[in-house]
Amino acid sequence: MNKRPYAWVRQLAAFAILLAIWEASGRAGLLNPLYAPAPSQIAAALVDLFGSGRIWTHMEATFTAALGGLALGILIGVAVAIVAAMVPLVAELVEPVMTLLNAIPRVILAPLFVIWLGIGTSSKVALAVVLVAVLMFFTVFTGIRQVDQRLVERIITLGGGRVALIRHVYLPSVAAWVMGSLKVAIGFAFTGAVVGEFVAASRGLGYLLSFAQSTYNAALMLAIVLLIMIVVLVIFALGGLLERRLLRWS
Amino acid sequence: MRVRDLSISYGAEPVLEGVDIGVGEGQFVSLVGPSGSGKSSLLRAVIGLQKPLDGSIELDVPSTDIGILFQDDALLPWKTARENVALGLTFRGIKKDEALAQADFWLARLGLAGFENRFPRRLSGGQRKRVALAQVLALKPKLILMDEPFASLDAIVRARVIQDVVALVEREHISVLLVTHDLEEALWLSDTIYLLSQGPHAHITREYNVPIPRPRDLIRARKHPAFAPLYEKLWRDLSREVGAAPRLVASDADAA
Repeated sequence: MNKRPYAWVRQLAAFAILLAIWEASGRAGLLNPLYAPAPSQIAAALVDLFGSGRIWTHMEATFTAALGGLALGILIGVAVAIVAAMVPLVAELVEPVMTLLNAIPRVILAPLFVIWLGIGTSSKVALAVVLVAVLMFFTVFTGIRQVDQRLVERIITLGGGRVALIRHVYLPSVAAWVMGSLKVAIGFAFTGAVVGEFVAASRGLGYLLSFAQSTYNAALMLAIVLLIMIVVLVIFALGGLLERRLLRWS
Repeated sequence: MRVRDLSISYGAEPVLEGVDIGVGEGQFVSLVGPSGSGKSSLLRAVIGLQKPLDGSIELDVPSTDIGILFQDDALLPWKTARENVALGLTFRGIKKDEALAQADFWLARLGLAGFENRFPRRLSGGQRKRVALAQVLALKPKLILMDEPFASLDAIVRARVIQDVVALVEREHISVLLVTHDLEEALWLSDTIYLLSQGPHAHITREYNVPIPRPRDLIRARKHPAFAPLYEKLWRDLSREVGAAPRLVASDADAA
């Protein structure tokens, strides 16, 4: 990592210079606006999206799918992991399936979910869930197996029983692992939602992207990419706040 | 507490075989021996974390009156010092407020006033050790089992923690069974020292009485006429045990 002070100043300056060169080249006619629209054109597309108000319905669709998928995915992944860690039979049956799901690029399931669940929100939620749940399953499942045995013995020798072990050792450990992979999970959830919309949808940022593609609108496309980046960064920041609150001991 | 003819095994060969030791009321007993002689296994058997192969363990106190101090402090990283200390008390059905108040009392007694709300990560090694000690002492044990609890501390901190332990144990009249490979530590603290032979099939080879009077002070104990000869004797006997290890090359054994 860069430990030099004021790195952000230099990074910001470099970014500004890059934008300026890009803009200048566009205006000088060096770049074909069809392929590489200038930053001002992208900004205009963004302003138009918000100005006309048509962006909100798309953002709502993507957010609902991504956040719903994130929450459900974490819930399902953690629950299955805990049951698998406690019941050997469940582990035997579930682990190979999860390993297989982990090995394949799970977004290939998107068309299948469209057939099963239609082009509405549920197929996007399902894709986000599959992406997030598999990640969470492995995080928590391997985590529970690696719980510090010294802590377990400490609780036992202090006179704590099963409930105390779950409450004071296992749950905090699980919370720490979930928080540790939350950022990756957020990224996965948005991937699921947007790719799902990309495959078949009538709303959502992914749908808008696919629309921009079919109309050869590079400015709109880049505007949406920028928008998704900003949204995910904001959610990362919120996740970071939650992490600091929950993991203030570390 | 009395351990009779105890054998412990993890595989085909017993680590410990036919071990006999006793800890009287208010007595401080140390078990010294080479690494891998099964010292820790013996403590784990007493507390019930390890099933012995053979032999018996007689406890004169209920198991709830036994505390154990591990080599690593094993504090819950997500709980503050006082919450860690209060934990065992709440397991005994004491209300949380009362448990926390008692935790503060014990932390203050071990010189940790002002550090109650620190998480273990923000405490030094010596401070964490004291928290672990407070955690055990808060339960008012009659017998404490210690598994090389001072090994990870640097010399000065170690001496101070040991001095505090001596004082507390003497005042509270607590019986202790300490496992260590540090002879000086054993001499400072103990009334009786047992020497364990090299494992596998480790057994007690000798028993020593430490005639240094109590209350003990680390500096003065070292100057006591019995200290140096006993240290030398222990050192020679222990070296012989280590030298008996089949894996060791001859030159190493000579040097020891």
